[in-house]
Amino acid sequence: MRGQGTFFDGETAGRHRVEVALSQDRQALTISGLTLPADLHWPLADLRALSDHAQDGQLVVTRHMITGDEAPRDPARLVLRDPALVGWLLETRPSLRKSDLHPGTGRHILRKAALAVGAIALMLLVILPAMAGTLARLIPMEAEIRFGRAVTAQMERFLGASEPGALLCDGDAGQAALDRMLTRLTDGQDIGYDLDIRVFDHPMLNAFAAPGGHVVLVRGLIDKAETPEAVAAVIAHEIGHVVNRDPTRNALRVAGSAGILSLLLGDVAGGAVLVAVGDRLLNSAYSREAERNADAYALRMLNAAGISSEGFGDFFDRLAGAEAGPALPEYLSTHPLSAERAEQARRNAAGRNTAGPVLSVAEWRALRRICD
Amino acid sequence: MSEIRYADARYTGQSGPIFGLSLKVAVLTLLTLGIYRFWGKSRIRRYVWSSAELDGDRFEYTGTGLEKFLGFLMAVVFLAVYLGVVQIGLTFIGLTLLGEPETDAGMAAQALAFNLTFLSLVPFLLFALYRARRYKLARTRWRGIRFGMDKGAWGYAFRAIGHYILTILTLGILLPRQSFHLEKYMTDRMWFGDTRFEQGGRWQDLYAPMKHVFIGLAVILLGLAAGIALDMGLLLVALPVIGLLWLTIGVIHYRVQSFAYLTSHKTLGGQIAFDARPQTSTVIMTYVVGGIVIGLAVAIIGGLLGAVFLTTVEGIATAMPPVGVMILLILGYVAMILGAGAATTALIVQPIVAHYVDTFTAINIDAANAIRQRVADRGADAEGFADALDIGGAI
Repeated sequence: MRGQGTFFDGETAGRHRVEVALSQDRQALTISGLTLPADLHWPLADLRALSDHAQDGQLVVTRHMITGDEAPRDPARLVLRDPALVGWLLETRPSLRKSDLHPGTGRHILRKAALAVGAIALMLLVILPAMAGTLARLIPMEAEIRFGRAVTAQMERFLGASEPGALLCDGDAGQAALDRMLTRLTDGQDIGYDLDIRVFDHPMLNAFAAPGGHVVLVRGLIDKAETPEAVAAVIAHEIGHVVNRDPTRNALRVAGSAGILSLLLGDVAGGAVLVAVGDRLLNSAYSREAERNADAYALRMLNAAGISSEGFGDFFDRLAGAEAGPALPEYLSTHPLSAERAEQARRNAAGRNTAGPVLSVAEWRALRRICD
Repeated sequence: MSEIRYADARYTGQSGPIFGLSLKVAVLTLLTLGIYRFWGKSRIRRYVWSSAELDGDRFEYTGTGLEKFLGFLMAVVFLAVYLGVVQIGLTFIGLTLLGEPETDAGMAAQALAFNLTFLSLVPFLLFALYRARRYKLARTRWRGIRFGMDKGAWGYAFRAIGHYILTILTLGILLPRQSFHLEKYMTDRMWFGDTRFEQGGRWQDLYAPMKHVFIGLAVILLGLAAGIALDMGLLLVALPVIGLLWLTIGVIHYRVQSFAYLTSHKTLGGQIAFDARPQTSTVIMTYVVGGIVIGLAVAIIGGLLGAVFLTTVEGIATAMPPVGVMILLILGYVAMILGAGAATTALIVQPIVAHYVDTFTAINIDAANAIRQRVADRGADAEGFADALDIGGAI
């Protein structure tokens, strides 16, 4: 088997007309030409063809060889156009189509992948939360309050309000009851913020704290609560978040994470940061530690106000019992309340005297009708 | 002394094979949630590169999918960390310094602060642009000899920012200067083997290809001015529409012909010169015809899918076709989208590349025989930044 070919030696751009033949021991190709200093022997087992080549009957052959290149290939190229030779090579040398990797490629991949995952995790779990914590303490309170208003407006839009204030429940008697509850909770406490509590008219069972002392209850939560004490407990919990600046910290952390996630998911411009912030505040949990701190704060607040914390645990138990299944109520899914935390609330309640109900029957009724 | 020999370039790739290859790549990319794209891009480039020949010898693309994937990982990690910090910082600034978010102006100001993120990426975009060309050259061979490019991505990025600012401040009048100097910066760092390219010519010469841009703009302004002055509604609408069309064609003309000028004024080692004569009309017609063909095909297939949906929905209370039909419809829809992408490569991208190659000539090609190999470039990020920032381009 022999034929003509063109050879490039990988050292100069000169072209060599060569004669290609099977060696005598039938184990190699012999490449000879007038312009080559010496005949070349390319073992058949090392031959590799270039893949995805736009063919027209042409075969470009090189050799498997460890080099500093991106693929372990001899820089020399042998171009064959002779149909008989090309056909014979393709038929008898399946190794032509083999692809090879440099030794140690697997380790290389693992190392880089581990590095990538590690760096992203470090960023998301350590660096951004730390930065968020620091920056949240540096934001002036007026700015935080302004931001809180924007976030609250954003939430209202999420819940379907066509304009700001469209979902706001403003029953006078109900608001008076809410204020009374708030006064009872915060009497003698140093909150540091002017609290602004409002109710949005939406069946969603939810409550959230926005930056700067804004607390929002969603009607569904009041509907589901059996006692005013349960509502008071939820408010106390949200005040705990406010005092710890959790919403602000979370907003900053989410903004940073959104930058990372948008890159990983391909939306580089990241214009939707504000939306993402609102979305996360509404839908995602604070860290477990933040929840525990808010709980502890809520229990201290309830105790100081002489309100039984029994409602706290019962409320969640009831929610979990009634709506167990795939569709957990929103408040429960975003504020995962372990049995331990419910139990903590109940232990706290046991044997403690209360200073009378937090709302009268009439006030409680008014609060439940605040959206009517 | 032998006479100077002209070597024509030729593009031999066919629509069928590249359509098949693009479609296969698209399907595998979808099935692997995007991971295969690095390998797919390498395969398509191997096909396109090997379809181009100069003086009868084919080009070769040697880049691998694996190095692209790893480069992408590194770039993403770097950018993610950078973006995370920038984003959180800008959010903080936006919250602290800017006004009432409830007013429209305050909202806009705050949105601007959040969108500064994009501006903070501009240096990386330019950096990535240079690195992508360097990588492509480092993975291109002709007659077994590597092309290459010197390091210099940051130098490019900062110069480019300067040129952009100048171009914006002069309302685009200095665009030719920008095009010329940025291309010269790159070209003067490009190598074939041990021999360097050089960009000759003058930036002022690029005003000739730009003339249709100016005409288009003039027609728009004239239409607006005359329409308002003479109070003629027709003039106010017609001329700007014509001007806009003219401007669009003018922009394409500038891109094609500035490429032709800059290529024709490149030299390799002071010995080999080039000539490029792409036709603006051919490029535009390729877009138009390819666009119409693909658009029609998508409309017909989409219409058929819609018809099937509507006929199977009828009479079923749930307003949804049976699950089996629904799955088939979704598959059909996905196939249509992937097919349209592959058809774009086969009917628009490749023919344009082919046109550029077919109108290219190298002068005194025999001087290349003495050019020697250069050492391999490891190509640290292998275009990863360009991919992460989504400026990879079609091929």
